[in-house]
Amino acid sequence: MPFPRVQLLATCLVDALFPGVGEAVVTSLTRAGVEVTFPPDQTCCGQPAFNAGFWDEARRMARHTIDVFLAEPDPVVVPSGSCAQMIRHGYLELFADDPAWLDRARVLAEKTSELSEFLVDRIGQVELGASASARVAYHPSCHLLRGLGVDRQPRALLGAVEGLEVHRLEAECCGFGGVFAIDEPDLSGAMLDRKLTAIQSAGVTAVVGCDVSCLMQIEGGLRKHGSGVRCMHLAQLIAGQEPGLR
Amino acid sequence: MRAAFHRRVRSALADPALQQALDHNADRRQRARLTALATLPDAEATRRQVAGIRRNTLDQLDVQLATLRERLAENGWQVHDAASAEDACRLAVDICHEHGATRVAKSKSMVTEEIGLNPALERAGIEVVETDLGEYIVQLRGEPPAHIISPIVHLTRQDVGALFESRLGIPYTDDVATLNAAARRTLRPVFLDAQVGVSGANFAVAETGTLVLVTNEGNGRLVTQAPPVHIAFVGIERVVPALADLPPLLQLLPRSATGQQLTSYVSLIQAPRAANDADGPLMRHAILVDNGRTQIAGSDLRESLACIRCGACLNACPVYREIGGHAYDSVYPGPIGSVISPGLFGLASHGHLAKASSLCGACREVCPADIDLPTLLLRLRRDYAQHAKHAKHAQQTWWLRAVMRVYAWTASSPRRFGLALRALAWGTRLLPARAGWATGLPGPLRAWTLTRHFPAFQAIAFRRRVRRLDLAAHPVGRASGGETPTRPLPRPIEDEDLIARFQRELEAVGGEVQRVPAAGLPAALADTVLAVGASQVFLAWQGGALLPGFQSLEEELRRRTAARLLPGSDTRVACSSIEQAAASVGVTAAVAALADTGTILVVSGPQGAQDASLLPGAHVAILSAQDVYPSLSDWLEHGGRSLLAERSNVTLITGPSRTADIEMMLTIGVHGPSRLIVLVCDGASQDPREPRP
Repeated sequence: MPFPRVQLLATCLVDALFPGVGEAVVTSLTRAGVEVTFPPDQTCCGQPAFNAGFWDEARRMARHTIDVFLAEPDPVVVPSGSCAQMIRHGYLELFADDPAWLDRARVLAEKTSELSEFLVDRIGQVELGASASARVAYHPSCHLLRGLGVDRQPRALLGAVEGLEVHRLEAECCGFGGVFAIDEPDLSGAMLDRKLTAIQSAGVTAVVGCDVSCLMQIEGGLRKHGSGVRCMHLAQLIAGQEPGLR
Repeated sequence: MRAAFHRRVRSALADPALQQALDHNADRRQRARLTALATLPDAEATRRQVAGIRRNTLDQLDVQLATLRERLAENGWQVHDAASAEDACRLAVDICHEHGATRVAKSKSMVTEEIGLNPALERAGIEVVETDLGEYIVQLRGEPPAHIISPIVHLTRQDVGALFESRLGIPYTDDVATLNAAARRTLRPVFLDAQVGVSGANFAVAETGTLVLVTNEGNGRLVTQAPPVHIAFVGIERVVPALADLPPLLQLLPRSATGQQLTSYVSLIQAPRAANDADGPLMRHAILVDNGRTQIAGSDLRESLACIRCGACLNACPVYREIGGHAYDSVYPGPIGSVISPGLFGLASHGHLAKASSLCGACREVCPADIDLPTLLLRLRRDYAQHAKHAKHAQQTWWLRAVMRVYAWTASSPRRFGLALRALAWGTRLLPARAGWATGLPGPLRAWTLTRHFPAFQAIAFRRRVRRLDLAAHPVGRASGGETPTRPLPRPIEDEDLIARFQRELEAVGGEVQRVPAAGLPAALADTVLAVGASQVFLAWQGGALLPGFQSLEEELRRRTAARLLPGSDTRVACSSIEQAAASVGVTAAVAALADTGTILVVSGPQGAQDASLLPGAHVAILSAQDVYPSLSDWLEHGGRSLLAERSNVTLITGPSRTADIEMMLTIGVHGPSRLIVLVCDGASQDPREPRP
């Protein structure tokens, strides 16, 4: 086992809104034979400020995150394509003109993986003993798919869940986009509607993904429309939780 | 600005016809692009090549521009530099005045939209007529194009029918072919009467001083060919260092834009009419437009200048798909528009567009130049937030800045962050909720709950729960290895007979190919003229003496048909109306053909082959089987470069002229011929120079 221990970066959304997803992530990792540590000083990677154009504020949070996760040498696992992309690409952009912090950001970037990427590519764990007899839709989230090029890995993990039938949704944005959802509510809502229509016609009981941000947008929309379909993080499926982010 | 943008967004979302048109555009264009890219042996490698060419050029823009100016001047162009939009327009007005021009025929060009050329010319008393079908329609409607490639993507054929009824006085119809024919009839005299033709440029090759124009309808060829004076507006970033760079660019531009392997016409314009040319303008001007580009090149948005204006990012963008082009209120809409508009027109007026993106990255995925548009949008948001802090008319919502400050302060301390989570958990208990999800948020956050519920903050955050969790490893699985399913390799081009490939590709785009033995050529040509029903035949094959039996071609035509036989140089006068054109055939010799795209090459010269291949209703090209090359780069390497240096204009022709501007319904035969018939014979090469080794 090349990585007996990892540091979990839970992400602020999981921390504050979806602790159950965090528990499922721990279950998935420990079942894959990895010991998990949770650096208690972690907060937020800074992406909300970065995406909104407030880079000084983003740097402040990024420096804190770098400090927290460079204190130990263990690799970092993030259950979010979006936050993993922030650390892998966004930090390099933020510190492009700051050689000292850029070096530290590179060290963190190199040891950071998104959860499915870590399980499949870094430690080769696909079969995690999960089963679920259901038909679900897989939502390929944008930053995971295009930002990190991760698609095969979550699908391999889904394929290993016994009894599961998976429908892959079109790789089309759900309309979340961070501050975009508040800044451009009409656009964000129109894009969400398109996604909800696709889910409805897929005839599924749940939508699975690797980013709770998108899933929060989608489940929020499903609930508003009174739909019974629920979202769940891939880790929740592996850990045998019921559909629903919480 | 943002409030107006939001109003336009809402009205676009509430317009069902627009929504349908935009969905249609996105679906069709994206599918066509993928299909076309699959015909390349390795599209990803070509994309890397294009990205490299574009970036290298931008790294040495000044040097390349100096070479371009020098070579254009050597080729006989009048070269002008325009620092600003005003300069560019003034130069054009002055040129028109100098030639006493009162009417200008114009082909599609985004840079002329950018600088506001049409209003500037009109203010100077010069009439401007847009001749691209889509641009003509938006000009009649008095509005800007809604898409870089498909100007009337927002209109239905019924809209066009009503417009033509009121503006052209034709009976109402929604038949696309009839509408196209009406525009063709109206515009034909414009090309022939205009004293000045205005075009843009897709590329300008520095090494050889060659202007490259990529078109479909034939109007681009007409405005650069028929009027006595041609003015080309060239954005300075259009420069391409060498001829050898063109093939990959031309492989990706049409595929990304319209899903074509190559457009009907690619003009390689070298020079004004030479002493022994039968056609072409007497004078060509190139106006090199900066208008903010140098400033962009010096900023961290430089990469945006690598754009080749294919419009693929518009077709892929989920935001464009919802709102269309006009909502952006910029000549350049969509993701690339949101990046370059603030640089060209100002951060204050266009900076807010960077916020109209979910940063999904679909734009970068399809970009043939691999421009990192999401990162550029983020940099613009940074600049815009900075700008808004100082600007009096701050567009940036004050509360977002305040929230981010407080958030950064909170999140840079674990203690503050933990306390904040507890406070938020208490706070959300006060909100209306259903099953643990808030149904209404206060203040600006209300925007969220308009369309979604919001999960309440949890009383016990994960950071507290995790303390009770068992974090030790409990492996259940066996290491199954990160096996990677191997992707099927792209299909290599089959090593089939070059001529068979040429025929297959040309027929696929509506061209006709006949293979005839050299001795059968006279009969085949006479058959073709009879089949077309032509009453006029323009003979413009050059180097005819090289073709054995040249005399018998003409004899056979006289013997078997009643058509008037005229020299190619007469084409223009004898095809001035659509009726005359419809009854005409132009006969040219193709100097070469490209098998991979089904393309023939026609050069300017004393026989008038440019006019003869463009103005009649049908074009018959005689091609020697020896002159078929695998691809454009093969032709350039094996003599194409030197031929280009000797000729004012070399045109790549891939099928009959076409348009799909109205509802993306294909109509064959617009301003150029509706039929292209290639007679491939085993005779001697039609290349007027030394035979190739």
